[in-house]
Amino acid sequence: MTPARFLKTRIDAWNRLEDIIGKTGKKGLKGLSDNELHELTRLYPAVAIDAGRAKMYNIDSVTRKRINQLAISAHGLLYRRKNVRYFRAIYEFFRNDYPELFRRLWPYLLLAIALFVIGFLGAYVSTTLEPSNAYLFVPGKLDVTDEDSGITSRDISERFRRMEKPPMAAGIMTNNISVAFRAFALGITAGIGTCLLVFYNAMMIGGIAAYFSNYGLTFEFWSFIAPHGVLEIFAILVSAAAGLRLGLSLAIPGHLNRAASLRTGAIEASLLVLGTIPMFVVAGIIEGFVTPSYLPGIVKIVLGISVAFVTISYLMFTGRRRFSESDIPSPQKISESLIL
Amino acid sequence: MQDFDLIETPENVELERRLAGIGSRFLAGFLDHLLILVIYLFIFIPFFVAGISVSDTGFSDTSEIWLSAILILIAFAVFWGYFVFFEMLTNGQSPGKKYVKIRVVQMEGGGITFSSIAIRNLLRIVDFIVLYALAGIVMFITRKGQRLGDLAAGTVVISEELPNYSSRYDQKRKVLDNESVTAFALEATGLKPEEYRLLHNYWLRRNELNLQARQQLLPQIMRPIFNRIGQAMPDESLEVLEEYVEKIIINANSEENKERK
Repeated sequence: MTPARFLKTRIDAWNRLEDIIGKTGKKGLKGLSDNELHELTRLYPAVAIDAGRAKMYNIDSVTRKRINQLAISAHGLLYRRKNVRYFRAIYEFFRNDYPELFRRLWPYLLLAIALFVIGFLGAYVSTTLEPSNAYLFVPGKLDVTDEDSGITSRDISERFRRMEKPPMAAGIMTNNISVAFRAFALGITAGIGTCLLVFYNAMMIGGIAAYFSNYGLTFEFWSFIAPHGVLEIFAILVSAAAGLRLGLSLAIPGHLNRAASLRTGAIEASLLVLGTIPMFVVAGIIEGFVTPSYLPGIVKIVLGISVAFVTISYLMFTGRRRFSESDIPSPQKISESLIL
Repeated sequence: MQDFDLIETPENVELERRLAGIGSRFLAGFLDHLLILVIYLFIFIPFFVAGISVSDTGFSDTSEIWLSAILILIAFAVFWGYFVFFEMLTNGQSPGKKYVKIRVVQMEGGGITFSSIAIRNLLRIVDFIVLYALAGIVMFITRKGQRLGDLAAGTVVISEELPNYSSRYDQKRKVLDNESVTAFALEATGLKPEEYRLLHNYWLRRNELNLQARQQLLPQIMRPIFNRIGQAMPDESLEVLEEYVEKIIINANSEENKERK
């Protein structure tokens, strides 16, 4: 076959494929009739091969690009992800996959917790020994040292009570989720950014905690932090674990090449961080509505701890699938399937 | 970065994809962020109109309180969800990308998956450092022009602008390019060399002319030729005449004729 005859015999197929692809438009494959769909599945492999033949025949570059583009468009139409039912997928994710993922990635969480504890204790001890060190750790905007407003538990609670609850819950929620996303994203710096973020937050909390103890307000402080804080800090640490998973997959690829390792790490890590969103929603609602309430401190502390306890139980104990005897293939079955 | 990327299809054929250039990606990003800004303006107009300020503690009634809470949530959803939403909805094209005709696809070919979309857009805040300067540098270094988010998600951004052909016949035109008038072509068409060259050149350049000019020019070229051959002009319409010219030129250059020769 000569190049000219190749063009002549194949051009109808290309024009037809172009028409069909044009028809898909916004609707995708749903825009096609059954016949057209059938035609598309027959035309695509032929045109894909034409793309190779066009190269062989040394056809002019414009035509080659056109064939290539047609084959790629058809390829994109035919090879795409299955349509998923989103609510079902989300339910399945939290029912089974997320707790499983959490348990698989616990070493990273342990690393994040270690960093947090070191940062917290460091700032706490340092501020206890030398009270003025609190200024190093406490951000200015939370200026609890303001002489005029005074430092009593009542003053601080009052401040929170004065704010409107719904916007405050929304603001806290969104801010915390942003921090979690950042903890994940900063993992791309081989985990260094995530470590710094955890360390920074841990020192801040440690500094504030020691500052309040210095004034003899330990119980008031913890009854203020605990209702929402236990869950919130836990969720931040899970996000940090996701960041570390991402960072270490890049830094220490193991037996994979670096790009492939990063991609597997990123998939696991992104799912781990997305699963923290409900935790932040719960924590935000508690922080907006329960923390500023007039409930006794001990109730608040118990509530905070039990919410965190429920969350951790969910992560530890659900999503364990039971396998029945019939799920385990017998040796005979395996050998049969191998022969087939 | 390279201009092209090869993917191997299940049919074992290598297809070339044109990668989106850094410039077009920045343009798309600029447009998307502009749109986000516009959305933000619309979200916060209720605040300005009602004269509510968020920092103030003085909300006048409960509906405003809840409205402000909802607006905060919407603003958050737009900030983190804009790209995820549109890339899910349109199979990898945010509005900016759609305008610039580029699309996000999986590196191994095929439509983009949810986890890839989530990863590349969560990492956007790192790529965003110094107004995407970091992304630009990384794209410049990597062979497939990927930013950090693309590297982690295993995606590439490809150009979907169709190659520059203006009609289906142009591919035939290219086969004809750079050919001098052979004795055979004259024999096959029965034209004089200058007539043939005139038609050939008209054919090559017709796309540089606008339709009106073509409508005017082609009958002027054709009339003397028809007169000489002794045929009546079939029609004055451009479509008919151009088809006629095309037939002549394909005929003159067809491979079978050359083989016969």
